[in-house]
Amino acid sequence: MSEFVEKAVSVPTETAAGRRPIGLLLVAIPVFLVIWLVIWPAINAISRTIWRTDADGHSSFDLSSYAFFFSDRYSLDNLAVTLWTTLVCAVLLLVICLPIALYLRFSHGRLPAYVQALAILPMFVPSIILAFAFIRVLGPNGMVDILLNAVGLPKIRTPYLTPWGPVIGLVWDNIPLTVLILLSGLGSVANQSIEAARDVGANTIRVFWHIILPRISNSILVALSFSVLGIFSSFTLPYLLGPASPEMLGPFMQRTLRDVQDPIGAMTQAVVAFGFCILFGLFYVRSVARNRGK
Amino acid sequence: MTSLTSTRARIDWSGIAFAVLLTLVIIGPLVVVATWAFTEVWRYPNIIPQKFGFRFWGQTLGRPDVWNALMLSLKLSTVVTLLSALICLPAAYAFARMKFPGRDILFFSFLAGHAFPKFGLLVAIAAIFLQLNLIGTFWGVVLIQLVGTLMFMIWIPVAAFQAVDRRMEEAARDVGASPLRVFWSITLPQAGPTIFAAVLLSFVGTFYETEGAWLIGAPGIRTMPVLMISYINNQMVIQYGAVLSVLLWVPSFIALMFARRVIGGGAFARGFGG
Repeated sequence: MSEFVEKAVSVPTETAAGRRPIGLLLVAIPVFLVIWLVIWPAINAISRTIWRTDADGHSSFDLSSYAFFFSDRYSLDNLAVTLWTTLVCAVLLLVICLPIALYLRFSHGRLPAYVQALAILPMFVPSIILAFAFIRVLGPNGMVDILLNAVGLPKIRTPYLTPWGPVIGLVWDNIPLTVLILLSGLGSVANQSIEAARDVGANTIRVFWHIILPRISNSILVALSFSVLGIFSSFTLPYLLGPASPEMLGPFMQRTLRDVQDPIGAMTQAVVAFGFCILFGLFYVRSVARNRGK
Repeated sequence: MTSLTSTRARIDWSGIAFAVLLTLVIIGPLVVVATWAFTEVWRYPNIIPQKFGFRFWGQTLGRPDVWNALMLSLKLSTVVTLLSALICLPAAYAFARMKFPGRDILFFSFLAGHAFPKFGLLVAIAAIFLQLNLIGTFWGVVLIQLVGTLMFMIWIPVAAFQAVDRRMEEAARDVGASPLRVFWSITLPQAGPTIFAAVLLSFVGTFYETEGAWLIGAPGIRTMPVLMISYINNQMVIQYGAVLSVLLWVPSFIALMFARRVIGGGAFARGFGG
């Protein structure tokens, strides 16, 4: 942040004084949009779900929509499957992406370049195409079934329309950013410190545990926060690949709002989602702001 | 981990393992989709299609709903990107070059959207649009997609403007160039490529934006990704979806080629907080 501010201060003062109102004017519309369509909806969703207007037009403090959510079997099942999916995805992402990032950090040449290109490719595959590809590969009579059948093995139990469907899709979708964020964190691990540890006889695992892990723990948290925020309320993949019941919060909110036409119910679900993600959200925003300010 | 410096001369087994696994898992499904797009007959359990051909390209492209969706998507992406450029680029210039009260806090306010789970926020916005009768309208979708482009379209150009060599601008001004001339001849050529990248990314991002279009736009506004959802849900002819996937992937491919320079360096990941 300091460099950023310094740059700002270094603006020649004679123009700065003259342009002061113009600067505010130029940023007014985007700032207005953020306030109107990000901050206000969040406040509005919270206030309208806790400060309800009854049939007579009296508004009063009323938590009944939350009481309903947390006593309704179906809502709770949906929340549980959402938490389960998020947790499983986060663990899988870490288990898959950390080795890839470590490999990329400590190798040079054409093979690592190819591995990196592949790891980043899903970023350029829209999730809608991913969903279609998933069904053609892992769905009933998909490519995996064809290949298994060709070598005389039984068909797989397809993950399509089970809770594992969204998990596989979401992990696939989130690999690129997780690898990039971890790789960027690994950039701060100096080769010398690893060589020094090796010189005194530390093996690979000890180097990883004592030298590398402490330096990238922040990046791991950032990567996890980013994927948790994305996965917790994901819509497209759970809607297309997941089971109809229980469903994740994303499709659940969409159905409550558009099909059941219950905006208060949908907003309650949204606020519950905000509540579960608030820590990850704040941590993520803080990290981005700090990095950007550097 | 086995490839830490000392083992560079050996065969890179872990690299080969990663390359093979990722090729299977990442490229594999895409190849299957591409194969389906050029298939006329492929019955289970044949490993390769019985008959290749372009028959379904003609059929898919001949469908009026596909054309309508494609035109609508292009129109939406163009309108959103132009509006976004129109309001964001001057703001980016102001953030990069001018001093005004509350500048830093306003700059970081664009992060607010990232503090919430995205679809939850969309639902909260939709609840407001419901009262404003913006649900199911073109401009409702424009607004929701416009918000999605703000951060990209401000933060990337701000970095671009800050990277411009100030001494060149001052030199030009010293020899009598007008501020507009300085901007046109010095600032823009240097910041231009990065700004163009931001514009392109926001166009492609808007083209593929599915969740806002589905939540706010349904049933009136059917963009390409929304059409694709209904093709997947209604189990239409498999090839329709495959042909659409291949078609849909073209803009993404252009963005991929273009972004190769931007991504890969740590700069991009740092933008995401890495």
